[in-house]
Amino acid sequence: MPNQNGSVYGLTILSPIIDDEKATPSHDLQIRSYLARLSTREDSPFAQAPGTHLARLVVMDDVIYVGAPAHEEHLKSKYLIFESNLDCGPDGDLDGYLDRLAAAIPEHLDAIWQHCVGYPGAANRQAFIRYMKACQLDTTFFFAAVNDKTVPETLRALQTQSAVADFIATHQGTDPAELQRDFVQFAARLRSQPPPRPGSIGPSRDIKTGGRNE
Amino acid sequence: MSNINGKVYAMNAITPMRRWKTWILRLAFFVLWHVKSLQKDLIDLSFIEFARWVVVRRGSFPNLEGGQLKEDLEYDYLLFFSNFNGTWNQYIDAFSAVLSGGLNLIWRWSEKFPGSVPVTLFKEYIARVQFDTDYYYTSYPQATANDVKSAHIVQSSFDNLALKAEQQSPQQFADAYLHFVIQVQAHLGETGEAPVAG
Repeated sequence: MPNQNGSVYGLTILSPIIDDEKATPSHDLQIRSYLARLSTREDSPFAQAPGTHLARLVVMDDVIYVGAPAHEEHLKSKYLIFESNLDCGPDGDLDGYLDRLAAAIPEHLDAIWQHCVGYPGAANRQAFIRYMKACQLDTTFFFAAVNDKTVPETLRALQTQSAVADFIATHQGTDPAELQRDFVQFAARLRSQPPPRPGSIGPSRDIKTGGRNE
Repeated sequence: MSNINGKVYAMNAITPMRRWKTWILRLAFFVLWHVKSLQKDLIDLSFIEFARWVVVRRGSFPNLEGGQLKEDLEYDYLLFFSNFNGTWNQYIDAFSAVLSGGLNLIWRWSEKFPGSVPVTLFKEYIARVQFDTDYYYTSYPQATANDVKSAHIVQSSFDNLALKAEQQSPQQFADAYLHFVIQVQAHLGETGEAPVAG
C-alpha cells in the first residue's frame, strides 16, 4: 500500500532497542541523550542527507493503555521510530535515499542506531539498507500537501517568493523600459544564486518549546 | 524533547484495535486513497504538511536476530504521525470541526475512542494516546504548508514571466508583469518566526 505519494516517500522504521539491564545508562536513554544534543537547524545531520523534507526520531517506550475495559498489555522491547518524508522520484527509490543517508552521516547513524538490536553499522551499505528495510513498516495511508516538489525546488521557491515580494514593492510605478531591464537583471541574479541550505530559512530561534497543551 | 521545530508540530499517537476491526480500517483507507474526492477536507484544512497512518498487526513489530524477545500482543495498533502548522489545540479543534466524519471513520475501530465530537473528550483521548518526539527536523522550518504551496505558485508564474521577458517590447512586458503581479499577489506572505503560543 501507499508508502509513496507522488514523488514523496513516507518512510516508517521501528528499530528494537537493545534491552540490557547491565547497561548504564540504558540504551534508550543513551539515544535520547544523543538526540537532545543534535542540532535541528542547517547543521542537522538530516540537512546534510539529501532529500529529507521532514524527519523525526522518537523512542517509543511502550504501547499505551487506554483504560478499562480494554486489555492492558506491554511491549517486550522499546523501539526507535524513524519517520521521514523524503524525495524518492517517480520510481520510489528508497534504496538510493538510504544509501545517500549512510554516505552523508554515517557517524550520526552509528551513534544513534548502535543501541538497536542487530544494527550492522553504516559502513557496510548493503547491510545497512537491508537492516533498515527489515525494520520498515508499510504505511497504510500517506498524505502529502505538496507531493511533486523536491527539497531543493521548495527551498528555491521560498527564496523566489521572498525576493519577488521585495522586487514588486520596490518597483511600483516604474516605467516599462526600466521595469523590464531591472526584472531581467533580477531574474538572472536569482537564477545564479544557490538555493538556501536545508534547515536554514529564517532567523534562528533560541527558544524551543514543546508540550501537548500548547 | 521537542514536538516543535519552527512552524511545524510533530504529533505521534498510538491506539489499540481489536484484530478483526483492522481489516475494516484497511478497507476504509483503501477507499480514501483511491477516491481522491474524499481527501478534499484533509487538503482544504491546509495546515498539514505530511501525515500518515500505519496499521501494525500484532505479529508485525520488527523482530531481529540477537536476543530480541518476540512481542506477544492481543491488539493490533494504529500509529499516527502528523506534521502540522499551528498549536496542538488549534489542530485538534480544526480536526474535530472539519473532519469529524473522517476521524470517526478512522479511529472508531480503536479501543475506547469517544468520537471526535464533543471535542473535550476527543482532546482527552488524544492527549492520552500521544507520545512525545525526541528529535524533529524540517528543511524549511519557517514555512507553513500554505507558504510552500504559495511559493511554488510564485515560482511557476515567475519562471513563465522570466522566460519571455527579454523578447518582449517594454509595453508588452509591462502588461505581462501586471498580469504576473495579479497572479501572485495573494501568495507573497513573508515567512519567518512563528508566533508564540500563549
